[in-house]
Amino acid sequence: KSGRELGTFCFQDTGVGKSSIVCRFVQDHFDHNISPTIGASFLTKTVPCGHELHKFLIWDTAGQERFHSLAPMYYRGSAAAVIVYDITKLDSFQTLKKWVKELKEHGPEDIVVAIAGNKNDLGDIREVPMKEAKEFAESIAAIFIETSARNAVNVEELFQKISKQIPPLENPEVDSNDSFKLTRQPAPSARRCC
Amino acid sequence: MASSTPSGNLPSGLTDRSGSFFKLIDTFALEIGELKKEMVQTSPTADKEPMDLQGLESEVSGVYLQSPHCGGVGVERDSGYDSLRRRMSVLDRLTQTHPVWLLLAVSEEEASHILLKQPPGVFLVRKSAALQRKVLSVRLKEDQSGTPISHFPVRESQYTFSLDGSGISFADLFRLVAFYCISRDLLPFTLKLPEAIASAKTQKELEEVAQLGAGFWDSALCSQRRTSPCPRRPLSRTLSPQRTNRNREVEGSQQRLAGAHCDSAPPTLRPHAPPPSFHLERRHSSGPLCFVNPLFLQTHHHHRCEDDPPSRADIKSDNNLENAGNASVKPSSSSQGSEQHVDKIKLNGKSHPPPPRPPPPRSMPRRRPAPPPPGPTAATTRPKSMPEAVAVSTKQQQPSCRRPAPARPPMGAKHSSPSKTASSPIPVPSNPPPPRPKKPDLEAHRCHIALDDETIAKALSRAKLPPCQPPPAVPADALLENNAGNLSIPNERGRQRLSDMSMSTSSSDSLDYSQSPGFSLGLAPSPSLHLNHQDPVEDSSEDDDDGEEDEEEDYGVGLETDLEMRLRPSFKVRRRRQRVGVSLGGGSFILPRALKGRFRKVSGMLSSFMTPERRAVKRIAELSRDKSSYFGSLVQDYISFVQENRGCHTSGMDFLQTLRQFMTQMKAYLRQSSELDPPIESLIPEDQIDQVLEKAMHKCVLKPLKSVIEVALHDFQVSSGAWQRLRENLALAKTKKPQELGVDGAVPPDPVAIEKICHKFLSMQKMYSPEKKVSLLLRVCKLIYTIMQDNSGRMYGADDFLPMLTYVVAQCDMPQLDTEIQYMMELLDPSLLQGEGGYYLTSAYGAMALIKNFQEEQAARVLSSEARNTLHQWHRRRTTQRSVPSVDDFQNYLRVALQELDTGCTAKTLVVHPYTTTEEVCSLCASKFKIPDPENYALFLVTEDTSQQLAPDTHPQRIKAELHSRPLTQIFHFVYRRVSNLNLCIPAVMHNGNCL
Repeated sequence: KSGRELGTFCFQDTGVGKSSIVCRFVQDHFDHNISPTIGASFLTKTVPCGHELHKFLIWDTAGQERFHSLAPMYYRGSAAAVIVYDITKLDSFQTLKKWVKELKEHGPEDIVVAIAGNKNDLGDIREVPMKEAKEFAESIAAIFIETSARNAVNVEELFQKISKQIPPLENPEVDSNDSFKLTRQPAPSARRCC
Repeated sequence: MASSTPSGNLPSGLTDRSGSFFKLIDTFALEIGELKKEMVQTSPTADKEPMDLQGLESEVSGVYLQSPHCGGVGVERDSGYDSLRRRMSVLDRLTQTHPVWLLLAVSEEEASHILLKQPPGVFLVRKSAALQRKVLSVRLKEDQSGTPISHFPVRESQYTFSLDGSGISFADLFRLVAFYCISRDLLPFTLKLPEAIASAKTQKELEEVAQLGAGFWDSALCSQRRTSPCPRRPLSRTLSPQRTNRNREVEGSQQRLAGAHCDSAPPTLRPHAPPPSFHLERRHSSGPLCFVNPLFLQTHHHHRCEDDPPSRADIKSDNNLENAGNASVKPSSSSQGSEQHVDKIKLNGKSHPPPPRPPPPRSMPRRRPAPPPPGPTAATTRPKSMPEAVAVSTKQQQPSCRRPAPARPPMGAKHSSPSKTASSPIPVPSNPPPPRPKKPDLEAHRCHIALDDETIAKALSRAKLPPCQPPPAVPADALLENNAGNLSIPNERGRQRLSDMSMSTSSSDSLDYSQSPGFSLGLAPSPSLHLNHQDPVEDSSEDDDDGEEDEEEDYGVGLETDLEMRLRPSFKVRRRRQRVGVSLGGGSFILPRALKGRFRKVSGMLSSFMTPERRAVKRIAELSRDKSSYFGSLVQDYISFVQENRGCHTSGMDFLQTLRQFMTQMKAYLRQSSELDPPIESLIPEDQIDQVLEKAMHKCVLKPLKSVIEVALHDFQVSSGAWQRLRENLALAKTKKPQELGVDGAVPPDPVAIEKICHKFLSMQKMYSPEKKVSLLLRVCKLIYTIMQDNSGRMYGADDFLPMLTYVVAQCDMPQLDTEIQYMMELLDPSLLQGEGGYYLTSAYGAMALIKNFQEEQAARVLSSEARNTLHQWHRRRTTQRSVPSVDDFQNYLRVALQELDTGCTAKTLVVHPYTTTEEVCSLCASKFKIPDPENYALFLVTEDTSQQLAPDTHPQRIKAELHSRPLTQIFHFVYRRVSNLNLCIPAVMHNGNCL
């Protein structure tokens, strides 16, 4: 497998349950002796995909309005974007749409967009119907998945899906990047961002 | 065997074998000690050196220094080197002759074609198109398994090279091959050097071989050498009486030595290092030998003879060879054809090989086809002999040693390198070392080392000999000589410097009119001074400064291995080679204390502890200072251009982008050109090459320009008013509480922590390397994170971090941070932009952008559209820039000196395109130099003893290129000066300069 770095960045509106998700994700990382990062806003995750190892470099972006203008800095050069919303908050889904629009207008052309509806463990207070979100995702050719940070549902799958959409390299070579592999894993949790 | 041991656990590997290894070393150290005594007695007269040598060393060294006459290669410079050079290790030979066997472009078919004609053991390294890897192709014995040639893939992992399936890894390809010349490990037998390489006795001979490149295999040199066993006493015509005497002397001493050796040494050696155990050990030496292995390598050299029964004979013949070498330039080969060949080559080789011209194809500049093999390729009579003769030096070291010793007390690369990180900042002499012509000093350095190695080797080999056998005379000789050489090192250095100076003068480039080549770096004296002055400044953060210091001294960067780290402490203080040996002994590394005093020889190995990366970076940095190289002239021209034309950029960003582009182009050039010798692919695993080149570019370009860049960026800020605005906004932001900047809940750093962060930022400013700066920035971020988490126990994402970073930046109140960030953003290696460094750099940029727009933001709570646009542009620029630009843009500099009778010379670097005519250059000069009466001035090409006025329709850049491409680079300058009589247009003598 060839190690291949994929810039990925995540948007999330504030208050979607952010920190807890990221924290959990990072802690899982530490469990696996992954090279510690500076902090939870930049993470890496490696996913095997065919002959390649996809190393996701995950850039968290600040959700506050005042930082939105910095977004271009974050999505430049990204191969994929994960936009997270909270299925229990309709507002967050509206914000997501704004992000999509921004991305379509200014983002890298071939960026893979994934939409993650987080907190699907709180289905009973859901405000965003899965059908609606799914249709929206299809309309923009985006990956859609609902995740649960708390129960670590579908996080791994999210990245697998993205991985599959990344066009393969021309000539796959052997590489020794295995050290980055974190395959096993009760996937952490859905990330708020990312 | 080693092969099964997983690489990577160096420590354990070390300890495993350390026991007997130490013993071994111990024993031969003893030997050496005795030999040394002997030597002193035998050669007291030899010392004619005026130099102030110390004790034994001077006397001993004298012997060596004089022997050169016999070496008689007719070297233009100090002939003393030649004798020293005679003794070259396998590694040295390999390194020297890589154009012969390192044929990356050769296909499997071609390789087979070449090797089929060779005796078993002969090999090539090529790159397999199918595997996309380097492979070692080896000629097998006829009877083996049907396939006459076997291909062993080379595995390149992080920083190391190894054969597939073997656990023994090496710092570079040369070491790998050298090792397999001595120990077979998983090969069916050891590799064998082509006879011409194995038996070469002088540097020159190796150069001759190397010059043939791939053509060597078809050359007479190859086939003949192989077939003709070297006569024992080749009498060469150049044999001088003097030399003969000396030989006798030496021989006498050898015998004595041998005797002594026999008496004392074997008994001691025996118990410690019985051959069998050593054997085991050797096999044992698997795993992560990478940086240690040079030691092993040397060890093995010796043992080589044990492996091969004929070793004795070999030794003898080697001895003869040596003598022959002493006596004459020519190898002992008897065939006329080969001699002629050699002669011919020598003529060429005499002058230094021409620097590759403009865009030299990486392909095989030196590999020209050679005449078809005249003779049959009979198997060598002494198939395994060569390593013996070869057993000496280490060219490997050469890169590390290659520096003007006297000029730089710290002896950076070689000895201090290991000490780097651990040590406190050492002030580095601000004057960059004079550019050194590569050939000469390489050799000199190599010599020292070679001697060391050989000494070790010989001692080892003796250790392995059965006790009763009289020690071969030759080895003793070798020992003696080696010791002498070794001891004479300081002396050598001194001499070397002198000769270097003269060399460099002759090879300097036209562009340095007013300064001697030795000062070519002087172009950028201020930056380096600047850096150096700052370096000592105290910084609270542990190794930050040290890190930078490292770079200053030996280009090392954060990639040192653990091993290296461990070695460092012991190296710190030692500047001198001798002491290094000692310190090694005392250090945590390996040698038993008992060895310390006498085991100086080992010191030569130390330089090999320098990582390949360092060596590569160092080599490139040297090349960049060598204006006789094409790369060097590009870099130096660019640097001086930037220094003189700060005003030519429209903005700081524009300026930085140009720099970045230049570095990217130079990297591309280095990868394509053949100017780097040895090729970087042989030192650095493929996936690391770019990053090594990047580091080298920082050193070559950013370091000398750092202060210029800083000033320029600041000036741009001030003149645009941005500086003032930033100050105001910072002051305002500083008054804000964390909450007002968006911090929500997390505890901000207290004033003490802020103070600490400020310190880190300050030390960040002192770095020239964008990567180093970024790594300091990361420390700041880490600190902020730690504080946030310590106070809450939870982890934070960007929502919390970015506001906090903004708050911290505001509290630090350092407007200069803005240009720092700009510097990093624009100059950082594009490949790092996606990583953690890129992320936090982006965050810092974002924080700074928020502060810069603080007032507006307060009103609108949003960044100004202007800032937004800037971000978009930056994004686009940085992502599109990845395509590699061409070198051409940067070839267009010409340094022209204005010569006035009264005021002397002033030089300027001008942009001159290849097709710019002399006439146009003249008018450019007139305006640049503000000449009121340009009609009375003309452009001259001035060389050492000639001065030619260039015709108006000639093209100065072409003339320059032409001059550069000549085999013998001479000094030349373009001078703009008053014409004495108005006899214009004396046609340029440059024959093809303008006709191209």
